[in-house]
Amino acid sequence: MDLSDLKNKIAIVGVGYTPQGKVPGRTVSSFHVEATRNAIEDAGISKEDVDALFLYRYFAPSSYDYDTTGFTVTEALGITPSVVSQEHQCTRGWLYHAVSLLMTGLAKYVVISFADNSRSSRRAFVNELSNGEATNDLAAFGDLSTVAKYAMQGRRAMELYGSGPEVWKEISIAQRNWALLNPIAGMYGKPLDEAGYYAARKVVDPFRLLDATPTTDGGRAVVLTTAERAKSLKQKPVYIRGIGSNHHMVLASKISVEDGENSAASIASKKAFKMAGITLKDIDALQLYDCFTYTVEATLRDYGFFRLGESKEFLTKERLGPGGELPVNTSGGMLSEAYFMGMTPLSEAVMQLQGRAGDRQLGVLKGTKEPGIIVVSDNGGVFQSHATLVLSSEV
Amino acid sequence: MARLEKTVFFPPKVTPETEAFWNGCREHKLLVPVCRHCGKTYWPAGKFCPDCLSEDTGWKEASGKGTLYSYVVFEQAFHPSLTEKLPYVVATVDLEEGVRLVTNVTDCELEEVRCGMPVTVDWADGEQYTHPVFVPVKE
Repeated sequence: MDLSDLKNKIAIVGVGYTPQGKVPGRTVSSFHVEATRNAIEDAGISKEDVDALFLYRYFAPSSYDYDTTGFTVTEALGITPSVVSQEHQCTRGWLYHAVSLLMTGLAKYVVISFADNSRSSRRAFVNELSNGEATNDLAAFGDLSTVAKYAMQGRRAMELYGSGPEVWKEISIAQRNWALLNPIAGMYGKPLDEAGYYAARKVVDPFRLLDATPTTDGGRAVVLTTAERAKSLKQKPVYIRGIGSNHHMVLASKISVEDGENSAASIASKKAFKMAGITLKDIDALQLYDCFTYTVEATLRDYGFFRLGESKEFLTKERLGPGGELPVNTSGGMLSEAYFMGMTPLSEAVMQLQGRAGDRQLGVLKGTKEPGIIVVSDNGGVFQSHATLVLSSEV
Repeated sequence: MARLEKTVFFPPKVTPETEAFWNGCREHKLLVPVCRHCGKTYWPAGKFCPDCLSEDTGWKEASGKGTLYSYVVFEQAFHPSLTEKLPYVVATVDLEEGVRLVTNVTDCELEEVRCGMPVTVDWADGEQYTHPVFVPVKE
C-alpha cells in the first residue's frame, strides 16, 4: 500500500490541556469538555466547526461517575457533529479514521479527546475480574493486571537478552530528568537517581513501581484538519508526514520478545517511515507510548534503533535525556508527566514542533537542536497493537 | 527462599468454546484445540480453526511437556484474597504441541525458575475448578 499521496495533507492544529495529576471531584465528561474546549480555542476555530469527535478510548465508570461515551460528551459540548466515535479498548484506529474523514471531505475538523479520573477514583487497571468474578480464564491463574503481561515480556528480555532493571532505570531517570523541565509534569520537582529507582518496591517482579506509569486525572485533546485549512488557523500546523498501524489480534501471552520484524511496532513503523520517506537518522526526537519502561525499550528495538541484546549499550540516560543525541519523551512521558495514553506523546510532539515546549524546548535547551521531524508511537494491548506517526514542522 | 505451592485462585469464566478444556482439567487431562481439516493446534479455543477457518475442529490430549517461555513473580495482591498467596508465579509455557498457555509454576523454589527450563504439567485441584500448573522436570 503506497500512502505517499497522503503525505503532509493532514495537520494537527490545536492542543487542549486541563488541570492534571490529582484533581478530585471531577467527572470524566468534564475533562473531555475542558480539553476539547481548550483545543478548539488553541486552534482558533469554534465548536460548531467540529464535525467529528473521537474519544480516545472507553473506561468503565468509577463509583461516582456515569458512563461516558462520545454521545454524552457531544451533549456536554453542545455540538451536533456528523461523526461520533470512541475506541472501546486498547486497539486504536482513530488516526486512520481521522485521516480518512478529512481526506474524503466527510469531516472538516476532527477532535480526538482523552479523559480519565482514575487517580482520584482509584480505579485499578485490572480487567480479569469484575466484582470479584472472572471475566475470562486468566484469573484462574491469578494473572491479574496489565503490568503482569508486560513484566512477562520484560523477564524474557532480561534473562535471555541482557535487559533488566539496569536498562529500565536509565529510561526511568532520563524521563524524570525531562519532567524536571516541565512544570505541569506529575514528577516536576522530584529528581530521581539510581538509588531512588532501586528503592521502589517490586510490583510484579521484575517490574518495580517506577517501571509503571502512575494514573492521572485530567484530559488532553487535539484538533486535526487538512493542511490547506490549517494555513489560515492560529497555530503553526504540524503535518502528518507518515502514518502506519498494525494490529496483532492475538493473546498477550502469544507475543514474543523475539517477534522482531513481525512485531506490530516494526510493521507499523515501516509503513509510516515509507510513507514519510524517512529513515531512522532523519528523526530528531521520539515521543513514545511508555506505559512501562520496557515498552520504550521494545519500541526503539522494534523500530530498528538497536538489535535484540543491545539495549544495555544503547539505552542510556545520557542519550535519551535532556541534551542527549536521541531525545525521548521530552515532557517526562507517561512515566513522569501524565498518563493520557497516546495523547501524552502526541501532544508533546506537536508542542515541540510548534516551539511551545517552554524550558524543555528542543533547539533552545542547551545541547539540543530544533526538531524538524518527531516520531510518535501509540501502543495497545501488550505490544499487540501499534501505531506510528511521523510528524513534521514543514511540508 | 520461597517455596512455590499449588494454589487455587478464581474460577474461570467458561464459554461454550472453553468448556471442554476445563472439563478435561477436572479429569487431569490437558486438552488443546486441534483442526481436523488442516491438522494444526491453536490457542485460544474456538469453534473455527483460526488458520483455515474450518469448523471441523476438536481436541487432543497434550503430552503435558513443555518449555517455560517466561514468568513473573506477583509481589502485589491485585485482589484482597490474594494477599496470603504472595509471592506466586504466573508463567507462559510453550507446549510440545505448539501452543503457549498461561499457567503457574509450582512445587519448586522460586529461585529455581528460569526462562527456557523444561517443565511438565501437574494439577491444582480446587472445589470449584481444577487448573493446570507446571513443575520443573528434574534432571
